[in-house]
Amino acid sequence: MKRWRGVIVPVVLLALAEIAFRARGGPSDSLAPPSRAVAALLSILLDGSLVVGSAQTLGTLLAGLALGSLAGATAGIALGSSDLLRRMTFLTIEMLRPIPSVALLPLSLLIFGFGYRMEIAVIAFATFWPSLILTQSAVVQIEPRLTEVARLLRLSRWQTAAKIILPAAAPRLMTALRLAAGLALVVAVTAEIVSNPQGLGHDLMIAQETLRPERMFAVLFWVGLIGWGKNAALLRLERRLFAHRGDVDTGIAA
Amino acid sequence: MTLRRLPTSVLGVLGLLTLILLWHLVTAAGLVSKAFLPSPAATVDALVWGLGKGDLKGQLAATTLRMLNGWLLASIGAIALGSLIGISQTARAYLRPTLAFARSLPASAVIPIAISLVGLGPSMVLGVVVFGSVWPTLLATVQGFANVEPRLRDVAQVLRLSHLAYVGKIGLPNAVPDILAGMRLSLTIALILAVIGEMLSGQEGLGSAILLAARAFRAADLYAGLVLLGLIGLLSSYGLIWVERRLTRWRQAAMR
Amino acid sequence: MSLPQVALEFEAVALELGGRTILQDIGFTVARGEFVSVIGASGCGKTTLLRLLAGLIAPSHGKVCLDGRPVTMPSRQVALVFQDYGRALLPWRTATGNVSLALEAMGVPPAERPQAIAALLAKTGLAGHADKYPSQLSGGMQQRLQIARSLAQDPAVLLMDEPFGALDAMTRQALQDEVLRIVAERGATVLFVTHDLDEALYLGDRVVVLDTNPGRIARMVDIPLPRPRNQLSTRENPEFLRLRRELFTAMQEMLA
Repeated sequence: MKRWRGVIVPVVLLALAEIAFRARGGPSDSLAPPSRAVAALLSILLDGSLVVGSAQTLGTLLAGLALGSLAGATAGIALGSSDLLRRMTFLTIEMLRPIPSVALLPLSLLIFGFGYRMEIAVIAFATFWPSLILTQSAVVQIEPRLTEVARLLRLSRWQTAAKIILPAAAPRLMTALRLAAGLALVVAVTAEIVSNPQGLGHDLMIAQETLRPERMFAVLFWVGLIGWGKNAALLRLERRLFAHRGDVDTGIAA
Repeated sequence: MTLRRLPTSVLGVLGLLTLILLWHLVTAAGLVSKAFLPSPAATVDALVWGLGKGDLKGQLAATTLRMLNGWLLASIGAIALGSLIGISQTARAYLRPTLAFARSLPASAVIPIAISLVGLGPSMVLGVVVFGSVWPTLLATVQGFANVEPRLRDVAQVLRLSHLAYVGKIGLPNAVPDILAGMRLSLTIALILAVIGEMLSGQEGLGSAILLAARAFRAADLYAGLVLLGLIGLLSSYGLIWVERRLTRWRQAAMR
Repeated sequence: MSLPQVALEFEAVALELGGRTILQDIGFTVARGEFVSVIGASGCGKTTLLRLLAGLIAPSHGKVCLDGRPVTMPSRQVALVFQDYGRALLPWRTATGNVSLALEAMGVPPAERPQAIAALLAKTGLAGHADKYPSQLSGGMQQRLQIARSLAQDPAVLLMDEPFGALDAMTRQALQDEVLRIVAERGATVLFVTHDLDEALYLGDRVVVLDTNPGRIARMVDIPLPRPRNQLSTRENPEFLRLRRELFTAMQEMLA
């Protein structure tokens, strides 16, 4: 019974919204009751248009995420392993990191024009920084005793990286990936709202412009569902992979 | 390696200068089109001119104010609401899943709704900034109340503190570190949403300036705008970290 | 080529770190196959002594020699067993995997590893726990695992840094006897650091007492007690008790 507590509030809110809308009478250009939104959701699911939009958004998301997190993780491991590199690059990173990824949309548009590449580029930029920083800190925080054991056993650089650094940092790397994935979704949808005429963000804008609020809410809910589902799935994967270790916690709350 | 002996600040500047040098070399060698990557010199020129004779100053001010206003409003509301929710364990239990779901929603996704409700004016942008920045601080406040040492809750009951007194004397002070971390995140989101809002609505600010520069192929002006945005983000986040340090002295002292 | 009689040598070794002198005037030799206990109060640098031998740090003055040659970096001949065993084991590998790490480092072909690992686990009393993760093993078993991994290197020298300090008395005694047995079998040279006087006397052929601030040798005493040692009879031996009284008083005076 306790598990359903969290659901009560949204259900109640939705019911209230439904009632309020009905009481007003008459359709609106900007709002829609939950019932119409659900109907719209089903319709766009069935007619395939939601699937197309989702595929576009998720496709660019994956490509951008792969690019950004791989580059960021590699750089993070390099920086994490070298004190000198870390000290030389921290200032540059601090200066480049605060640039909002959304501000790069016009630049990306300039370089790539509309389409997949422009969005992928911005997602890659946005996910690069958290991947870099989290990976770097994961490597730095590896149990120093373990790196000493590697020295004592005279493990080569490659052996140390493969047998000690990567497995030790793996839980934190997984968490970094999960957070980057969440960020990637936000950036993807934002890019589509602001400049790229494809994907779910674009569907949202079209629904608003053509005065179909029930469609707008349907897509919005769908986006939220994707975000929540992706996070939940990655969390489970994280737990499944690392539960047996009983070592340091991932350091970041779920 | 003598490089290692240099102090970190010097090394950092060295690293930055190396990057700028590389940037200059790349543009000088013509490896990338000047339309996409202007030279450092051209960017600085555009910056200086824009701040002096051009509109950059006004745009900088507009974006910064938009960000700060929205963020402050959101923070006050978030802390107030968060305290209300935070006091009660039941409220927390009922509301947390909903809040977590709302947090995972991209803030920019509510922009279409905002547009249909209030049109494309400045109030839309402000509304979106406030709505989007509320969540991290709200959740952080609730979290801060949730992790009050249970012993202190007992003390509050024994002393028969009123709800308001509990919030003011125990709940909020305990939640300050979490709240400040949340506010830092909120500020980042506020900046992003302010920029998006400007891009979509054409309101004066760095966001629309950058968009116009891109459309007119004025790369140097675009980059100048980027530099300023980066600076806003950098200074605001460090400013908050400074405030955080001063307000959480007790915690740092305890950790020593 | 026969190996030199002297396995380890400290020649006028001193170590300064961060302006403080950690060790000063350290000079003594350890013969092949000898078991030397090192004892002293906390902060006297006894751990540092081991780390110098292991090649993890270099002395500021003087030489640390292994088989007549100065130690510049870690050697597979020397194995180091840490006190905080939990942190020195790989949490993501099973017991088998942890022992395997040493064999992998030595380049032992994969086909030969399972047999060697099984033998080592059996020798340290972990035969039935080969597939368990460190988090599933008790403290005593984790320390045995660390010892098993150290033995996998087939070391000529075994350095042990208060290895039983974190264990309960009964486990400690069982492991003490096990170490003595293993060392006798292999003829290894051992440097054993402890803060427990009884343990130092029980295990060693010789005791080196270190003074603090800075760490230097206060005393070196031979322990002419018969081997094999026995938890009951050795500890009741009048010579044991005499040495104990002598060193106990000496250490008390050092603290005063």
